[in-house]
Amino acid sequence: MRTIKTLLGSAVISMGMMTSAFAAECIAPANPGGGWDFTCRQIGKIMYDIKVVDKPIQVTNMAGAGGGLAFNHVVAERGSDTDLIIAASSATSTRLAQDAYAGRTASDVRFVGAIGADPGVIVVGKDSPFKNLGDLINAIKAKPSSVTFAGGSAVGGFDHLKPLMLLQRAGFTDITKVKYIGVDGGADAITQTIGGFTQAMTGDMSEIVGFLKAGEIRVLAVLTEERIAGFEDIPTAKEQGFDVVAVNWRGLYVPKGVSDEVFNTWADRLQKVADSDEWKAAMKANGLAPFTKVGADFQGYVDQVVAEVRQLSKDIGVIK
Amino acid sequence: MASDRIFGLVATLVALAYIASATQIQTSFLSDPVGPRAFPIGIGIVAVICGIYMALKPDAEPNWPVGKTLLAIGFAIVVLVIYALALKPLGFIIPTAITAGILSYQISPIAKNAVLAGAGLSVGLFVVFKFLLGLGLVAFPKWIMG
Amino acid sequence: MDIFSNLALGFSIAFSPFTLMLAIVGCFLGTIIGALPGLGPSNGVAILIPITFTLGLDATSALVLMTSVYYGAMYGGRISSILLNIPGDEPALMTTLDGYPMAKAGRAGDALVLSGVASFVGAFLATIGLMLLAPLLARVAYLFGPAEYFALYLLAFCTLGGMASNNQAKAAIASCIGLGIAMIGVDNSSGLPRLTGGNLHLFDGIDFLVAIVGLFAIAEVFFFIESHGKDSSIGVKLGKVTIPWKDINDTKWTMLRSSVVGFIAGILPGAGASLGSFMAYMTEKAIAGEKGGFGTGVPKGIAAPEAGNNAAAGGALVPMLTLGVPGSGTTAVLLALLMTLNITPGPTLFTDRPDVVWGLIASLLISNFVLLFMNVPMVKIFVRVLQVPAWVLLPGVTMISFVGIYSLSGSYFDLLLMVAFGALGYVLRKLDIPTVPVILGILLGGNMEDAIRRAMVISDGEWTYLFSSPIAIGLWVAAIAGFVAPMFFRNLLKKPQAVSD
Repeated sequence: MRTIKTLLGSAVISMGMMTSAFAAECIAPANPGGGWDFTCRQIGKIMYDIKVVDKPIQVTNMAGAGGGLAFNHVVAERGSDTDLIIAASSATSTRLAQDAYAGRTASDVRFVGAIGADPGVIVVGKDSPFKNLGDLINAIKAKPSSVTFAGGSAVGGFDHLKPLMLLQRAGFTDITKVKYIGVDGGADAITQTIGGFTQAMTGDMSEIVGFLKAGEIRVLAVLTEERIAGFEDIPTAKEQGFDVVAVNWRGLYVPKGVSDEVFNTWADRLQKVADSDEWKAAMKANGLAPFTKVGADFQGYVDQVVAEVRQLSKDIGVIK
Repeated sequence: MASDRIFGLVATLVALAYIASATQIQTSFLSDPVGPRAFPIGIGIVAVICGIYMALKPDAEPNWPVGKTLLAIGFAIVVLVIYALALKPLGFIIPTAITAGILSYQISPIAKNAVLAGAGLSVGLFVVFKFLLGLGLVAFPKWIMG
Repeated sequence: MDIFSNLALGFSIAFSPFTLMLAIVGCFLGTIIGALPGLGPSNGVAILIPITFTLGLDATSALVLMTSVYYGAMYGGRISSILLNIPGDEPALMTTLDGYPMAKAGRAGDALVLSGVASFVGAFLATIGLMLLAPLLARVAYLFGPAEYFALYLLAFCTLGGMASNNQAKAAIASCIGLGIAMIGVDNSSGLPRLTGGNLHLFDGIDFLVAIVGLFAIAEVFFFIESHGKDSSIGVKLGKVTIPWKDINDTKWTMLRSSVVGFIAGILPGAGASLGSFMAYMTEKAIAGEKGGFGTGVPKGIAAPEAGNNAAAGGALVPMLTLGVPGSGTTAVLLALLMTLNITPGPTLFTDRPDVVWGLIASLLISNFVLLFMNVPMVKIFVRVLQVPAWVLLPGVTMISFVGIYSLSGSYFDLLLMVAFGALGYVLRKLDIPTVPVILGILLGGNMEDAIRRAMVISDGEWTYLFSSPIAIGLWVAAIAGFVAPMFFRNLLKKPQAVSD
């Protein structure tokens, strides 16, 4: 048995050595398959492909507490690790705003930048009686229990906030009456909606592209300023009279203790990924809209978003 | 007989404590009709029923280890706990060699074999895991490596 | 025929010397990974993903390598189940029930060959099923809402209560232990921590792998210390290893039925291979009746779960490829791999990227044959694991368990939990309380609670919603029958032996 293992070992030994020796690490604070995992793997792969790093970036999945475990790990144990990047998104800032990371704040790390955004969408099954966003909102206003939303985030999470924001803009204040179930990711949410168990799905563009092409669903609204290239027939919420913009940006943060030089190196690498054709192709394939904010001004943007979401969460009663 | 009765009673008490702590679970403002408490409480209730049933209608008594064997198992648990705590600060090879040796000696008390098992397993497994499977193990603590 | 031209396309992609080599390497690595306690298909595949990048493999080659590791691990899981009574991975749990008694009875070689053949049949039929039915079967996922899932999980626990022990209270209390443990951690619906006692390590909940390895591997070490290696699995006599044609012939219908059952279980998102092997075993046990001797080391008791779990592994690829909904932990990792390779699984994958889909299917067929030939003639090598003396093997298993769990989280806390589970497993087994329901509870508890809470949100707390569809009602009836029936037959039909041993 041991000889065979050794023989086999020699065949694979070189691979093992190469991956383990001092490669930079990207922590995806969730299980494989989700948005953070996508961010790490895609950005890591492109950084290697376009040769801004000389070794493949190793992706570590550290699921737990909606990213809180990874956040805490980085702040407490890896505070000055120069070879570490961590995937982040609107979910990160939402949870920071709702104080869901055990007292940690956005200033405990350094946000490097965002290089793409996943537009929020409100989706119904193809046979749904709701033809536009107004139909859906009016139905909820008339009888809140008639519509259940399914989304990929927990109660109070970003997917949940989207329909609440829409209803708030539409003058509906009895927010706790709105029914929402948080399932394990956008794909599950859409399966439940197509199956007719829930009436509408709230999620991100990238989660629905496959279903949209297959003609299983109707997208009632996309929550951006303008219609998205490639999906011009989908109306925005804004043009239907509900002024809500909610995009799920995809980006990175690094530990707080790194020098400005290291920070700028990562920012520069991220900018190069943003400019690459590979990233443009990946964005197109996954329904991401361009959204590039890299470097120093990104931290300011995150602070501003955190403040906004905190106010909103208080308004609708998700936090006290 | 007695073992099942004791286990049944202990299970009942643990389940009651579980129910008590389940009633303390925080509920959020936007809670669903079931809430985060109901399901754990339900589990606790089923466990209480089963625990009482076990205490009232026990099965035949198993053969428990006595004296030295019981001590040996207790000692093995202590060794494994120390191993778990030592793995990170002391690296893989030294704690593994010691723990594997002790366990080996406990199963078959021949000193030569135990030393062989300890040394062979620690180095052999390190090579397999580190190089074959690419796990990020540390061989020795930093202060030995300089 | 579309299928044949598609398949030809697939084979034209998959049948190069390079991809064949990848399939062989993947199958071998996978078998070893599956056989090692604590290392299962999901972490095995996850560990190897970086390698596919280092090698600069293209999408198809990377998929071939990873899926052959996946299938290899599904095959390999049975080896330690049969030889050591420790499931190499979670779906191989059911194989311990008859595989280990059969090995103890001196038929380790037969058990391994038979399980290898059963694995082949299950995996092969599932691949055919995937090929023929994937585009149609994708719609089954739309029929399962929260109420149906809840009934399905309930069915799993109720039928388990009937079979796992002679004493239903003991089986039920074991389920409660598992379910109770599953509740620990952040509550999925509200995002608030529950029952953690403020311990940050518990916010994540308790990983089922920690529990499995503790309850099985570490508890086993304590039993060995008690017996000093005598009267143990290591003392199994190894007969001559031949192909047990009679057993294979006797179990052919079992294999076919189990493959179908497993495949269907695998298609359900979230159910995965564990449920596949479980349902297959239960179905065959019910068909064979008490005379079938399930739990005592009968060939059918090995063929059923192995065909079932391998068929489920194939079935789990259906929702993953067609809906992007992974049916198991491993398919979740494979999904991540696909997305990294810039392939978006979904209803359109079959039309948009036929090269990927059919290349994958062709490589699944190839790796199946590779695995059959690897696992039948080479069975002797695996049986030789038995001849390693207990004083090396058991410390070795312990160390592998520690490293496997340590590599999951890098946390000493999980290791301590694992030791605690070892002690718990020792006590439970002494008291004849089955440990399988504990694991099932930890695995399914969270899903089960989520299902009922979602159902109640949708229905505004109206309980009748749980029985609102024919599928749900059918599952409820089966669940109640599965739990109640053994109570009436208990006195008539004494079970020969507790299956958890």
